[in-house]
Formats: sequence, structure tokens, C-alpha cells
Amino acid sequence: MKKSFAGLFVAGALLATLATGCTSKPNAAELKQLEDLKAEVSSLQREISAKESEKAALLRAIADKDAQLAQCEKDKALVQERLKGM
Amino acid sequence: MKVMNRVILVAALMLYVCSYAVAQEMTKEEWQKQITEFTAQRNELKNKLTGLQTEVDKLKKSDADKAAALKKCTEDLMALVGADAASERAFAAKLDEIDGKINELSRLSNQDLWARKGEIDDVQKMFDEAKKSKLSTMPKYFDRVKEQQNRIDALRKTLESAQLMMTYTVGTWAKDRDCLWNIAKKPKIYDNAFMWPKIWQGNKDKIKNPDVIKKGQVLSIPPKADLTKEEKSAVRSYWSKKRAAEAPATPPAAPVKK
Repeated sequence: MKKSFAGLFVAGALLATLATGCTSKPNAAELKQLEDLKAEVSSLQREISAKESEKAALLRAIADKDAQLAQCEKDKALVQERLKGM
Repeated sequence: MKVMNRVILVAALMLYVCSYAVAQEMTKEEWQKQITEFTAQRNELKNKLTGLQTEVDKLKKSDADKAAALKKCTEDLMALVGADAASERAFAAKLDEIDGKINELSRLSNQDLWARKGEIDDVQKMFDEAKKSKLSTMPKYFDRVKEQQNRIDALRKTLESAQLMMTYTVGTWAKDRDCLWNIAKKPKIYDNAFMWPKIWQGNKDKIKNPDVIKKGQVLSIPPKADLTKEEKSAVRSYWSKKRAAEAPATPPAAPVKK
């Protein structure tokens, strides 16, 4: 019983090895090409993330300057009016 | 036999594991599929990055434009009030000085405030000078300047209320024996005749010569406190004039009858 079970096991393993051994596989250069591509994608994702942060910071800075500019214009009008009364 | 069986079993197991490992290796089709997927992803990301870069460049330009507009507005504002950074700093320092002086006076007791009442006028002068500057119309200083005037007014009110509480109406020499020396000596006034210069200096507008006070004059009685430098100096001056006139060193004379 044990013998037949072991034989079956060995046969299956051999079959699996043969089946995979017959299919074509990428060579080392192709595998490197894939790895490089993956690295490039990761790098691009990081760059995009950084650019999005930069964009958000710029939008905040512009909004802040807009508010300051509006306040400055308001101040100018107020000062002009007060100077008339001086 | 048993040993042989075990060896076969272990060998079979190893073969199975090896074949499994080989089966896990990437096939050419899988490689091709991944290359296609990652290439598409890379191209998409490159496009996205290019788009983002364009947006960021536009935003940078916009930010620079806004900064320039803000700078121009600030310069226009400063030109309106005829000031530059240095004069603004000087103005702010002057306001700080006024604040410091007001704070100092506000902490004084009524008596001490009375003794240093001249300083209220000094701070008012400083304030009036600062207020002449067009910089005082700028919103960041306007409220502060207004508040300073309110605080100076409050100091004056404190002084006035202290003054109103203490007055003395001069009576006649015949009946009341009123002279500055005797008034100061009264228990309800200072209970100390040597304090007479305080009454004199507190009523400089009414008393030109401390030897002459008139019936019916309403004198302010400064709060009781040690003689100030000015009061002591006034006394020295009074006595030296007296000596110069070779007059006897007597206390101030009685009031003149009308």
C-alpha cells in the first residue's frame, strides 16, 4: 500500500516537472526589463505624489495671497478715506 | 525494507517540492502580459505627471503674479501714508513707548498719579505727535491709537475725580487764619504745615505767589504724599528769592482781603 502510494506520488511529481519544463520562460534580460519597468512605475508614482503635494501647497499659498491682496485693497480704500478727514 | 521505503518517500517529497517550485516560475506569456500591463501603467503615469507638471508651472506663475500684486499693493499703501519700512518701525516703537508710559501711569495709586500728573501731559504730547503721522490711519495702527487716547482720557478722569474729592475754599485771615502753611496744617488737609508747597504746586494756575491767596479761592488739594522733586525745588526757589529780597524767612502770608 505504502509502495503504491509512493509510486503515485513520484509519478505525479515527474509529470508536473515535465509539464513545466516544456513551457517557454523569459530570459534574464527580459526579466530585468520587467523589473526595470516596475521600478519606473514606482518612481513615477512617487513623483506624482510629490507633484500633487506641491500643487496643493501652491493652491494654499495662492488662496492666502488672494486673501491678503483683498485685505490690502480694503486697507488702501480705508486709509484714503481717513486721510481725507485728516 | 522499511529504510528503503522511507528513502523513496523522502525522495518523492523532494521531487514534488522541486516540481512545484518550477511550476511557480513565470512563463513567457505571463511575462508578456505583465510587460504590457506595466507599460500601459507607465505611459498613463507619465501622461499624468506631464499634466501635473503643467498645472504646477501655471500655479507657480500665478503665485508669483499674486506675490508681485501684493508687494505693489503694500508699496502703494505705504506711499499713501508717505512712509517707508524704517519710518514705520520708528512709528511702531513710538506707540510702544506711549503704551509703556500709559501702563506705568495706570498702575499708580491716585496719590502717586497726582504727584506725577505732569507726565499725563507729557504722554499726551507724545501721543499727539504720533497721531499726526499718516501711519496712524493704517488699519493695523488705527485701533491701537484710538485705544491709547481712550486710556489717556481715563487717566485724566481718574486724576479729575481724585481732584474733585479734595478741594478747599479759602476763608479769611481774620476768621480762619488761612494761608498755605495753615491750610496744610489742618488735620483734615495734611496735618503737616510743611506740606504747603504741595498745595501751591497743585494750584500753580491759581497761585502765582504762595504768599498771596484770596478769599473764596477754591484750591485743589493734591492727595497726601511726600513732596515731589518739583515741589521741593519750588520751595528752594521760594526761599532763595525770599532771602535775596532780605525778607525774614517766614511762612507764606495770610490771604489778601478783597
